[in-house]
Amino acid sequence: MDLVLVAPPTVDEKGFELFLGQFGRRAWSESHQICIDLGDVTFIDPYGMVGILEFGYYLKSLGKEVILRVPGPEEVSKYLERMDFFRFRSGLFVMDPPHLDLTEKYHRSIASDVLLEITRIEKSDDIHFIVDRVRDRAGSILETHLHYDERAIHHFIVALSEVCQNILEHSQNIGYVGIQKYFYAKSLAKNVVKIAVMDLGIGIKNSLSPRFSLVCGERWSDLLAIEKALLHGASRYEDIGRGHGLTEVRKFVQKWNGKISIRSGTAKFSVLPSWESGLERRSGVTFFPGTQISLVLPEINR
Amino acid sequence: MRGKVYNLKMFMREEMLNGSNNLVTRETGAVMRERLERELIAEVGPTVAFLDFSGVGVIDYSCADEVIAKLVSRLLSGEYGDKFIVLMGLSSSQMENIAVALERKKLAVLNLQEGGGWQVIGFLNNYLRKTLVSVMEKGSITLRELAQERGIGLNTGGTRLLNLYKKRLTWRSEEVSKEGGRQFVYKSLTAVMGVLNGETEGTQNHTS
Repeated sequence: MDLVLVAPPTVDEKGFELFLGQFGRRAWSESHQICIDLGDVTFIDPYGMVGILEFGYYLKSLGKEVILRVPGPEEVSKYLERMDFFRFRSGLFVMDPPHLDLTEKYHRSIASDVLLEITRIEKSDDIHFIVDRVRDRAGSILETHLHYDERAIHHFIVALSEVCQNILEHSQNIGYVGIQKYFYAKSLAKNVVKIAVMDLGIGIKNSLSPRFSLVCGERWSDLLAIEKALLHGASRYEDIGRGHGLTEVRKFVQKWNGKISIRSGTAKFSVLPSWESGLERRSGVTFFPGTQISLVLPEINR
Repeated sequence: MRGKVYNLKMFMREEMLNGSNNLVTRETGAVMRERLERELIAEVGPTVAFLDFSGVGVIDYSCADEVIAKLVSRLLSGEYGDKFIVLMGLSSSQMENIAVALERKKLAVLNLQEGGGWQVIGFLNNYLRKTLVSVMEKGSITLRELAQERGIGLNTGGTRLLNLYKKRLTWRSEEVSKEGGRQFVYKSLTAVMGVLNGETEGTQNHTS
């Protein structure tokens, strides 16, 4: 094996960033085989999972053979299976160990916290499928655990639809989405729903460049592009009805005291609620193609 | 003037192969708008199209822009002839998202509420809102009646009524006044709905 990238024990937004940082520091261009080692992973959320999947596709697009070393703890593999992660392994990952008898080994719980398994987004019908699926399960998760009423559920689904549509409208590539409910003990002590939506497309900067690169000149960057898209409703289309999906999603997330982060190219921009710490703006992070969006929405008080 | 109810849920069943009742994505919006455009263009003579959203699920911003905002925008530019649009059967959440799409483009449309009331969704300045209230409350109004009721000049009143008509929020007919002259009478779009009875399945024709 030419290169082994070891994932940290926790693969969430921060963990995935650490993992990408490790990739950025290593000399990988000459490596034919690259191993994604999940052996030490004890926790992985939708962002980490979709991120690892997209990372695999990225390596594949670079002509690499990608080995996936499955997590040591059985619970983590069960969760990956529950989220349909392994459904995408064929033709993408060489598994280590090669055989996983997952269908018999891991039964799916009816009372699952999974709101949406990892789902591919490549056409409008996929968004319809996602919306239908989340509407079906909204009662058991959004209503019961997050105390969302019908109106909040409607806005949640609209937000989801809009972030997923960005892939169809702007990325020029396919993407993936996954959603799960967690109990976020750290600083919130509340249930949260985590949504991860990612693609390996052209990224926000490239999408907006035809309209903004000349105007912004040397200031034009991944970070500025994300800010324009998220805060100012910028779009590559001139129609004034376009480009407002993300800004409306941001308003919804802020209204519900949630968190939204967008990573694209070499920058990351987050709108942080009071219960979360960290940097709002980051540039110079390890390059990763496309756009990675994370939404975290906490339960509301009854 | 004819009134016709377009059942969006039924149109979705006919146009969409995925069986979804959610108005999400621009692609879906474009398919539905094109269907509505075909229907509107096929109507002979002045028509108020009541777009009935009963039974429709989620409406996202992109689809609201593609279906409603673009439809209203083209309606105003005269692409469909002497046609008018009124929305009905909307939930408050659906209405909010349509309002976002309309406000961006400074457009407005009438919404018929379940109990028979009405409201404007989108952007409309206060003067025109007040004028619209006068038209809707009376069912029909002349320039002189408006000027008298609101205590405004004929020029001002005329401009407001004309603007409402241009925004396709009222319709008008030319009639003979008591004095024998000709005048425009501005009429409520929902008055056409007043003759509707019973179920609103598929499309129904009504004449006023």
